[in-house]
Amino acid sequence: CKKGKWPLSSPVLRREKFFIFVFSGSCLAFVYGMVCLYVCMQIFSTVGSQKSKEVCLSYIQDAMLRKQWKRAAEFLTFYIESLEKDFSTEYMGPSEVIWRIGAEILCHRFHNNMKEFSSFIEQMKTLGVKRYLKVSVCLEHAFHLLCNGQIDEAYQNLSLAESWRFGEQTAIQDKEMKLIQAYRGLLDYYSWSKQKNILLEHDLSVEQEMHGCFRKAAMNLKEIIKIPGVWDLFVKCYVDLLEFYGDYSEAREVLNEYAYNSKFPANPNAHVYLYQFLKRHGESKKSLLSALKILHDIVPSHELMIDFHIMLQKSKKRKKRRLGLEVIFAVLDYAGWKENVKAWSCLARQVKQIKHLDWIKQEWDPRRDWWPAFHFSRYSAKRNWQENESLSYEKALVAGILLGKGCKAQVKRFRILKKFLNKHNPVYLRLSGLSDSSVQP
Amino acid sequence: SLPAGSWVPSVTPQDILYRGILRRKPGRPAGDSCTSQPLPVLPTQLSHFFVDHPEDAFGSLGKLLHQNFYLGDSKLRVSVHSGLPPCSGCPRKNLVPRLRWFSHLARDWLFEVPLGLLADCVHEDLLLQWASLLFDDSPTGGALAWLPPKDVGARTGRLVYPGGQAMNHLCILPHGVALRRGGGGREGVPWVAGTSWDTAVSRVALCPLPDFVGVRSDYHCGVWRVPGRTGAAPTPLQVIRTSVPASCLTVSPHLPGELAVCTQSGAVYLWSVETGLQRLRHDPQTMFFRDHSPWRWSDFTAHPRVLSCADRTGLQCLDTRVSPGGCHFDLFKVGEEAGCQQGERVVLPMYLGRAYPSQHLVTTQFSVYVLDERLPLVPVLKWAHMMKAPPLFAHLTPGGPGRSHKVLLGASRTQELLLLQYRGEKRGALGVLWGRVSSVPTSQPPCCRDRLPPPPLGLGSEEEEEEEEQTFYLSNLEVIIDEEEEDGGTPVVPEEAECPQEPSANPQPSPAAALRYRRWLKAFSKVCGQPPRHTRPPTFGQKRLFTRKELEEPSAPSALQGQARRWLRQAMRDGGCLQRWDPPPSALPEPPEPAEDPDPLSARLTASWCGDWDGWWEGRMSSSLAQRQRALRERRRRQKRARGRRSLSASFTSSLTYQSELSELSDPDTAPPPRREASPPLGTSPPAAATPPSPEEALLSSQSLRSRGIPKERRKTLRDYLAVWADGPPEPPELPGSQASQLCIPSSQSQLSSASQPRRKRPRMGF
Repeated sequence: CKKGKWPLSSPVLRREKFFIFVFSGSCLAFVYGMVCLYVCMQIFSTVGSQKSKEVCLSYIQDAMLRKQWKRAAEFLTFYIESLEKDFSTEYMGPSEVIWRIGAEILCHRFHNNMKEFSSFIEQMKTLGVKRYLKVSVCLEHAFHLLCNGQIDEAYQNLSLAESWRFGEQTAIQDKEMKLIQAYRGLLDYYSWSKQKNILLEHDLSVEQEMHGCFRKAAMNLKEIIKIPGVWDLFVKCYVDLLEFYGDYSEAREVLNEYAYNSKFPANPNAHVYLYQFLKRHGESKKSLLSALKILHDIVPSHELMIDFHIMLQKSKKRKKRRLGLEVIFAVLDYAGWKENVKAWSCLARQVKQIKHLDWIKQEWDPRRDWWPAFHFSRYSAKRNWQENESLSYEKALVAGILLGKGCKAQVKRFRILKKFLNKHNPVYLRLSGLSDSSVQP
Repeated sequence: SLPAGSWVPSVTPQDILYRGILRRKPGRPAGDSCTSQPLPVLPTQLSHFFVDHPEDAFGSLGKLLHQNFYLGDSKLRVSVHSGLPPCSGCPRKNLVPRLRWFSHLARDWLFEVPLGLLADCVHEDLLLQWASLLFDDSPTGGALAWLPPKDVGARTGRLVYPGGQAMNHLCILPHGVALRRGGGGREGVPWVAGTSWDTAVSRVALCPLPDFVGVRSDYHCGVWRVPGRTGAAPTPLQVIRTSVPASCLTVSPHLPGELAVCTQSGAVYLWSVETGLQRLRHDPQTMFFRDHSPWRWSDFTAHPRVLSCADRTGLQCLDTRVSPGGCHFDLFKVGEEAGCQQGERVVLPMYLGRAYPSQHLVTTQFSVYVLDERLPLVPVLKWAHMMKAPPLFAHLTPGGPGRSHKVLLGASRTQELLLLQYRGEKRGALGVLWGRVSSVPTSQPPCCRDRLPPPPLGLGSEEEEEEEEQTFYLSNLEVIIDEEEEDGGTPVVPEEAECPQEPSANPQPSPAAALRYRRWLKAFSKVCGQPPRHTRPPTFGQKRLFTRKELEEPSAPSALQGQARRWLRQAMRDGGCLQRWDPPPSALPEPPEPAEDPDPLSARLTASWCGDWDGWWEGRMSSSLAQRQRALRERRRRQKRARGRRSLSASFTSSLTYQSELSELSDPDTAPPPRREASPPLGTSPPAAATPPSPEEALLSSQSLRSRGIPKERRKTLRDYLAVWADGPPEPPELPGSQASQLCIPSSQSQLSSASQPRRKRPRMGF
């Protein structure tokens, strides 16, 4: 303090001076603290950069949870800056985190502004060219563009990504390249099918262009199908292309390879496509049945099993009709079919035909302990009656025949059902008589 | 039983580790904790054992021995550390205080359990605790279940959760109005089932439609049937006891009264209330590759007779109709096919039958997979959830036609929540799932925001007609209910209007937390017997830069302060400094003033540095000689006076040194010991033969020479030689007369005391 201004003799002012001294002291302490903090931050930026990044991420998360997109974006910028000093070797690299957070923020903050998004993508490309990013960023961006109807841009984007090379070519990169190419082929297929529609309206001018699209699409799609995997979409498109140009043998070969090659995962869809192809081309019943038989072995609960059952029932061979019964029982084992009227009516028709009671009995025996609780409980009876009467009739018929008197408890309340059951009671009597007779000897 | 309102605190890293820091490698799987070895404080833990279980450590020996020991008459005051308050039934209460004291005295050397064995056990236990600290899989699946109302629209749903202080009661809370607001009103008293479990209930599973509730604790599993009517008592149906802790209990969604049970020994059972247990598999090894975790899980599939069975490496489906181990297929395998990362492990599988009959959810610590059992091994959907901790709880809210399904994931320790929605379309052959999964930012529940210490134990959710969802959390303390607004797809929010421009520095506590806090404060003040005085909540902080007083604003800033502030601001704006508090204008620090009387060493060094070492030596010699003689004379005089007073007998008490001195003295040729070391300091040969009187002069006394192993004959030679060296000034005049008498005053201390100095100096020649 300047002595001239504040006479120090005054006690009040002395106190003031003391206070100011304290004040300045705390100021100094504050400055000192800031210096320490700065030093500490410098240390932590090298030693505990992981920690600070975690903190930063949690801030971003917090801001996003509160839908404060602007704040989240600011934190994200800081996060990216902090990453530039640090090269992480983690698998789940931070670039994926940035990509997802950034996409989320952009999506909300700029309401799907494509321009902003594209510039962000460009930045992502320069930020990290990691294995994961290449596929995800490129494909996701392409999907985003497609969702916004910018098909040409998406196409461009994909072909640009094909020229995107980094480091040494590994097998994985090769596969990913094929995936990107396949998606490009899909877009080619899309434009091909558009032109096909034009062509079908008798405008022959597009034929040349269409053929170019076909060649490009077929080339790319054919490549990816060779690699073992689940390529339902690509296979369907490729078969469609081949079928249009009448190359049935190639299409059949592709589908057979897709369905029966043991290197591929056991994909029920492959058999479904094969079956549909065979059906389209009027193949013999035998080949259709064999295709469906394999599907039945893989997925007994498939929708096509009803068709399979009906086809089998039409057959004259005992063995096949027996298989038909097995199929319909197996379908109804699954929870997804519990309330399917068609399946129940199929079974009811089978049960009503009094021809092969021993088959029914053989199928029923392993299910005797759990079907009543699963299908014919009082609860489900009540619910079925409320929701779907025809289902109730079919189920009651089956229950009446299979369970006999036991089922009356289920249908006690419903007089109509009871009448209906009484009408079909003789079947049960015969079934039970058969089982009794089979037990006695 | 514990006093009300308290719970047994869970283990913290500080209890186990030296540093108390829970370090987890980022890439490591959650269950794979043995690779990161903890650094336990074994001695501390052992001493805890001695304190906590003295009767086990040295009970019987102590009982035998303590009668024979005299332990003093004072009362025993030993503070026994314990997390538990003294209570009735506590075995320590009956312990004889004498025995307790004895055990405290003797626990370092008297124990019955061999220390090595005990340490092994403690170490093993520490490792277990450490593993469970890193990742505790016992609450997998969650211990909270919501029984939806039977009639749609009726508010008769009930919440089933474990209650009681030790979480060993089954509570059923009917849906009430009091429950809906404020998060945790417990006005509706929960019904407590009659049976209490031996250990804490860690899982409550239920089948929603016929209202079967399965309850699992460590060694017991039970089934209850809960009637639909409100207020009707649930009836326990069956309880089974397992010899190995059970790790899983799921209730069949297809058949009432059927459950799947897994034990940690790798056995999977189908448990039917009517027919009992049926073992489907028993394999202590994991399925696809070796993993140390004994955790097993089982769930149901679309086929009521086929069960899925999981361990950390993947999922398999088992057919119960064929013999054990007969028919199975792989549903999910951690590996290349599913695109898994290194170290990824299955954390929680769940059957999504209510959304799609054939789909399963599998969560790992990195990702969420949706699998279709018709196309096994290839996930239909994969989504990296990016949660900090692996999700242990999952709840599915199926969407109707045209609406997306919602999966709520919850983590235990980090208290995270994540709501995912996905949508599938039945097109073509299989129901093809869209790739569109979006994580809707869920509002964090109050327990997450305010960080209740105990981690949540369960997660449930109630779906209602409108787009409103209620989420329930179960923590150790209470059930927290959070109503959250959840808008379907992508929430479009006018963000500028809603969010503040700057991050608010001081987030307000949520109303629920405030309410809870107020209740706590009320209870607290009731216990303490005084009303709360502070309107501001007291804060308990550990790390604070300033105390509250320092931070407190002054009542009114005076004019002077204002002026000072203005100056400060001005100075800060200008970037200058405040002149008023400048230190006195002294630009450069002045060199330290030369000391008046420097110590001899620095003077010597200075002199030698300047090249004037010889001159310094001369001057030093002349000045110190006079000093020395003066001091010597003074000392002699004092000794003479003291000798006159001393009794004669003291002169005969001899010591070894005294005798040796005598023997040396008896030698007529005894040469005086050298005064200084053989070479002068700084390596330059001193021109003067005399040695400086340094305090180390006694170094070459006969004693030290002998201690250096120099034989007697050579000692003499050495002394002679040194005597030639030390051709010093003449002896002080009165020296010889007092020689013998002086030597008669030896004592053991005198050698170290100053009195010994003249005696040693005596034989020196040159004085």
